[in-house]
Amino acid sequence: MNRATRIAVIVAMAIAVLAPIGLVVYQSFLDGPFFQPKISFTLSAYEFVLDDEDFFDALYNSAIIALGMTAIAVPVGALLAFLMTRTDLPGRRWIEPVILVPMFVSSVVLAFGFVVSLGPAGFVTLWFKSTFGFVPWYLYSKWTLIVIAGLTHVPHVFLYTSSALRSLGSDVEEAARMTGAGPLRTALTVSLPMVMPNILYAAVLVFFLGFELFGLPLVLGDPEGILVLATYLYKLTNKLGTPSYQLMAVVVVAIICIALPLVALQRFLLRAANRYVSVKGKAAAQKPVSIGVWRWPAAAMITAWLLFTVVVPLSGLVLRAFVSSWGEGVNLFDVLTLAHFRELMEFPNLTRGIVNTLLIASVGGALSVGVYTMLNLAAHRWPSGWTRLMDYLVLLPRAMPGLVAGLAIFWVFLFTPFLAPLRQTMIAIWVAYTLVWLAYGMRLVSGALLQIGPELEEAGRIVGASPGRVSRDLTIPLIKVGLFSSWLLIFVTFMREYSTGVYLLAPGTEVIGSLLVSLWGTGAVDLVTALSTVNIAMIGGGLLLMSLFGKRSHG
Amino acid sequence: MAKLIIDDLHLSYGSTDILKGITATFAQGEIVALLGRSGSGKTTLLRSIAGLEEPKKGVISIGDQPVFDAAAGLNVPSEKRGLGLVFQSYALWPHKTVFENVAYGLRLRNVPKAELQQRVAAVLEGVGLGHLGERYPHQMSGGQQQRVALARALVYNPPVILLDEPLSNLDAKLREEARIWIRTLIKRMNLTAVFVTHDQVEAMAIADRIVLLDGGRIVQAGTPEQLYTEPVSLFASEFMGVNNLMKSRVQDKRGGYARIELSGHPLWGKDRAGKGVSEEATGVIRLEQVEVVDGEGENRVPAELETSVYLGSHWEHVFRCGDQTLRAFGRPLSAGTHWLHLPPEQLWVF
Repeated sequence: MNRATRIAVIVAMAIAVLAPIGLVVYQSFLDGPFFQPKISFTLSAYEFVLDDEDFFDALYNSAIIALGMTAIAVPVGALLAFLMTRTDLPGRRWIEPVILVPMFVSSVVLAFGFVVSLGPAGFVTLWFKSTFGFVPWYLYSKWTLIVIAGLTHVPHVFLYTSSALRSLGSDVEEAARMTGAGPLRTALTVSLPMVMPNILYAAVLVFFLGFELFGLPLVLGDPEGILVLATYLYKLTNKLGTPSYQLMAVVVVAIICIALPLVALQRFLLRAANRYVSVKGKAAAQKPVSIGVWRWPAAAMITAWLLFTVVVPLSGLVLRAFVSSWGEGVNLFDVLTLAHFRELMEFPNLTRGIVNTLLIASVGGALSVGVYTMLNLAAHRWPSGWTRLMDYLVLLPRAMPGLVAGLAIFWVFLFTPFLAPLRQTMIAIWVAYTLVWLAYGMRLVSGALLQIGPELEEAGRIVGASPGRVSRDLTIPLIKVGLFSSWLLIFVTFMREYSTGVYLLAPGTEVIGSLLVSLWGTGAVDLVTALSTVNIAMIGGGLLLMSLFGKRSHG
Repeated sequence: MAKLIIDDLHLSYGSTDILKGITATFAQGEIVALLGRSGSGKTTLLRSIAGLEEPKKGVISIGDQPVFDAAAGLNVPSEKRGLGLVFQSYALWPHKTVFENVAYGLRLRNVPKAELQQRVAAVLEGVGLGHLGERYPHQMSGGQQQRVALARALVYNPPVILLDEPLSNLDAKLREEARIWIRTLIKRMNLTAVFVTHDQVEAMAIADRIVLLDGGRIVQAGTPEQLYTEPVSLFASEFMGVNNLMKSRVQDKRGGYARIELSGHPLWGKDRAGKGVSEEATGVIRLEQVEVVDGEGENRVPAELETSVYLGSHWEHVFRCGDQTLRAFGRPLSAGTHWLHLPPEQLWVF
């Protein structure tokens, strides 16, 4: 790419990132929706929201939940990572892929699973009651929400900690063992401090995700009226009867104001986390540490966690999709049915939603990876003020939860005359998805780009290729495999996305995720569980593809 | 005829000056080594010639054509300079076969297919890899990869070929063969070549001329013999060989020679730096110039044999003379005191 193209790409990205945020900030200072003819600037929307007890309730709940789930997810995730990467735990090989499942299933689907399994009339609840005569839990309390949120975010901590532990050469541990430290002491005084920056990073990430939580509190908090920031925003839609755009804009501004410092902190910590990467020793052969009889309680703990966060909700959900009725005294084998799936097919919007989801994930995902690649190439090996600007711009969409970004994009399409006809098409959805996952996608592609040494491209220049030819003939072919695996990850990510499409939901733009959210509001549990099952199956397909590809590219 | 001219080249990264005014001329058909320690600026100079670094001042011309001129705002991009560069890591493209790696430069020049086939085959033949065109780089040994990198740089007949530490990734045995092989190839094709190295033996073996760099400046330029036998500074003399160093003061001067002292024994040596009487000075003598002799005499010192190391073709002896250590090559010696002769014409006083 030449300089002019690079700058053009970066400017285009700046517009795409800044326009939605600018519009939201603009809207927050108006006294009515921005498209009304007579509007004026005012602070009344801020006054209203800051006067609303519900807002502070939601803010308080968000903070408590974020803190609580961090306190649960970090120790469990770190311990899990250590057990999986460093010890001779039995069954590590088959546990490993299952651990990441909660990351790939959309949290709204997981929440439905908890309701149908552990809710007051859930499968497990009823079975427990009929066996023991009482039920010691209540699903819809704030504390249950914290525990569920914490346990479902364990994979995030696991992922960052285990990759750090893996990149740590076992020579540093062996050196500690040689100087006389036992396995436990080595873990606590050498391994743990060395991966501490990564754990800290994961902690801030989980805390941040806690503030963004939408699916879990929407489903699990609603019955008792527990609001968090995102669900408060969602409920606000109809607070004043008319669409109260200015109030929503104020809440969005509040969410971004909280999220932005957290994002900046993550960026700072990520740099610190990479500090030890350069001093790693030979990461080749890692010898697992023997933990003796402790293997069995450790394995039991992991099994219990998997049972609670993956097996119980997902199997309950799938089971619920295949039965016509259930309750005390009903034999489940007598009520098995495909009726819910048949019903699903009778709603054109639902079938359209399934097709749209497949399209957005496959075609849309590929286009998004194309966009992320363009952006990365624009900044590739070009140390300048422009690329630094780009670094900061990427952070902005990170600070917008899917729900918020979807809303902002919806407004942009409403506001901009030449975009308006596209508002009710999948293009609007694609733009929103691409923006929401911008930082994630950029990192996937840049990870691939970092693998190629600068001299491979310099060699191209020397033998006579222009910068454009170097990108086309050398850089892109070299990262082909990385781009394909990025696409697979984006495919699964788009497949599970549920919150971004909520405000963009219209005839023609249905996707499974946003349909699930709106169907849950109507109480159509049969359809919700059937559609969730379809979604799980699609994600499962994607993951299967990923593991097949992973095996092939390694072998 | 001058093929490559560099005039007063300056380059800095931020506030760090890397090149501080390099001026050099490279003649057609000449092999020149840029020799220096890491951080001396030798690789940066090579990359500046290639167009991969942008100096802030100076002129670089290839043939008669300037390719970089800071004052005129001229900076021809790498791909338009038409040079060949062999990277230290070889930088072979892993997704292309050996044939395609070599052919890429010709494809970019729109060479017709038949001619391309023939030219790639010829250059691969020239580097002794005629039969391996269909392999991928990872299927080859380090030595073979290096030959591919060289073939890739040679195939489009560049006016100047640049080599960045071409032998550093080969093991010791292979390196000795490659020195001779590379020199023969470049000479046979009558190419102008500039290569970077930190190894003075390698520089002397391959190059017609050596440019010794230190701290972004040229210390000395000349034939390998000139650099070895007539170093202009203490740094140059230390860099080029294995030496005995003697710290002292100038005692006396006479007819181009200066007298220093080694533990009280007078020693005459060539006055190379023009130091005045009673100024601090350093005496330098190559190990192979120190002779073990039978008795005392002019420019001889007594020394206690401390230890001897057997090196196969000869022995290296370590002597002690007062608080100074002297080393010399020779035949096996018995323990005790020996007389060492340091010929005045081989002893340099800086």
